[in-house]
Amino acid sequence: MENVTTLRETRNSGIHINWHRLLPWVIPVVLIILWQVAVTAGWLDSQLIPSPLSVLEDGVTLWQTGELEKNVSISLFRATVGFAIGGSLGFVLGLMNGLSKVARGLTDTTIQMFRNIPHLSLIPLVIILLGIGESAKISLVCVGVLFPIYINTYSGIRGIDPELMEMGRAYGLNRRQLFSKIVFPGALPTILVGVRYALGVMWTTLIVAETISSNSGIGYMASNAQEFMDMDTVLLCIVIYALLGKLSDIIAKTLESLCLEWQEKGGANQ
Amino acid sequence: MNPLISLNNLGKIYGDKTALHDVNFSIYPGEFVALVGMSGGGKSTILRLIAQLEQPSSGKIAYAGSRLPVTRVMFQNDRLLPWMTALQNVSFHAHAAATQKQAQSALNSVGLSEFADSFPSQLSGGQKQRLALARALMANPELLLLDEPLGALDALTRRNMQQFIRQIVDEKHLTTMLITHDVDEAARMADRIIVVKSGTNVYEVAGAKDGSPEEVADVAQSVLAVILQPDESAVRA
Ligand SMILES: Nc1ncnc2c1ncn2[C@@H]1O[C@H](COP(=O)(O)OP(=O)(O)OP(=O)(O)O)[C@@H](O)[C@H]1O
Ligand SMILES: [Mg+2]
Repeated sequence: MENVTTLRETRNSGIHINWHRLLPWVIPVVLIILWQVAVTAGWLDSQLIPSPLSVLEDGVTLWQTGELEKNVSISLFRATVGFAIGGSLGFVLGLMNGLSKVARGLTDTTIQMFRNIPHLSLIPLVIILLGIGESAKISLVCVGVLFPIYINTYSGIRGIDPELMEMGRAYGLNRRQLFSKIVFPGALPTILVGVRYALGVMWTTLIVAETISSNSGIGYMASNAQEFMDMDTVLLCIVIYALLGKLSDIIAKTLESLCLEWQEKGGANQ
Repeated sequence: MNPLISLNNLGKIYGDKTALHDVNFSIYPGEFVALVGMSGGGKSTILRLIAQLEQPSSGKIAYAGSRLPVTRVMFQNDRLLPWMTALQNVSFHAHAAATQKQAQSALNSVGLSEFADSFPSQLSGGQKQRLALARALMANPELLLLDEPLGALDALTRRNMQQFIRQIVDEKHLTTMLITHDVDEAARMADRIIVVKSGTNVYEVAGAKDGSPEEVADVAQSVLAVILQPDESAVRA
């Protein structure tokens, strides 16, 4: 028995927990160190692939001139607005079609047809119709996030256990209560899968759109730098994409742990 | 005494399948009735019609006072809401502000006071069924409908739950209809046993509640004999 206790104590020690937290960063840090070493040692042509330090320097310079801040915030703005509009539309459509047979009959076929058009193929059309202004980028993001959220909201609602619904009715819930106590919480895990996926689509769409046609934003910064063979900035943009991707992931995970406490606590009995 | 509910020539057809025909029986206030019979005989359908979860195809159900009494159902599976804690599950259907206290005392009454903040996935099978019972007992139902609520439990837990349900039902003077496959359970718990066969009630016998083991076995035996008799309507068809 004493052995068991000792074992537990070691496991709970602070050192172990810290190590656990650092673990995810080991590979990125090692990669960056290798990269730096490779450039310093001359294995990589620093004209083509600049070192992490010089990318960082470039970032600091661009930040001081205000250019980096400006481009990152305009991209964040487009992403957020596009996600909010497209996400809400997808959510509302998913709700409608999940809950109402009439709405489903009316719109589902049409939505399925549009869904199969790759949204990035709409870029030429959007540029002709809306030019290269804000509305063009925002509407592309909208279209991109709309479908994942729609599909997941819809199937989350359709997947609700009919026995739970019957139980709710047997306990005298009205339609609104059925929705708030059974349908919505039951569909939430699936909806959040949609949110996580849509966050990824949001960045890809935005960056492609900004790269092809824009005069601001991170995507623009990268394609502009490409014209001047400014590798520092090109790589800087790629690093920023990676960080933004990580940020989305943190947002999705936080949402999940806030909303789905019951799933995380679930034990072997589930 | 007037019956709490009366089923008169009740029939239910799904598509071209007759699930129920000519069902006739009454349940009196304070009575504990057991419905037994083979699988697919129509027991759950009768329950769903009484709880007004479905409409009959023919015949009617008369309720005392011409309205459905406050009815609570316990289903074949627990049907707890996985996203709610035990306490929330018990009170999810109640509107009143004083429900928190009621809910806690309903949990206490089934011996789950410490599990108020646990989610269903953290409870054992027997605890889940007790939680479902606590939910059914909230807000003082007049009619308790139990559809094979103990089917998934091990024999020991099952016996405990049988006693437990009887005890609570007696304390609260609840009118109860219990559906079960288990003729011993029916004989042990019910005032009256109704055998349902091929969509209609065919036989009725007094239960042996609080009776000696021999009495219980006797009643169970005769009920089983009726259930296992070759089905006349099936032979004719
Ligand atoms: N929604 C439905 N649609 C079509 N047929 C149904 C439906 N519900 C029940 N039935 C049929 O009605 C008959 C009676 O079913 P019911 O569920 O009432 O039986 P039961 O006596 O409760 O059986 P068990 O003991 O297995 O629960 C069965 O033949 C079943 O297939
Ligand atoms: Mg049944």
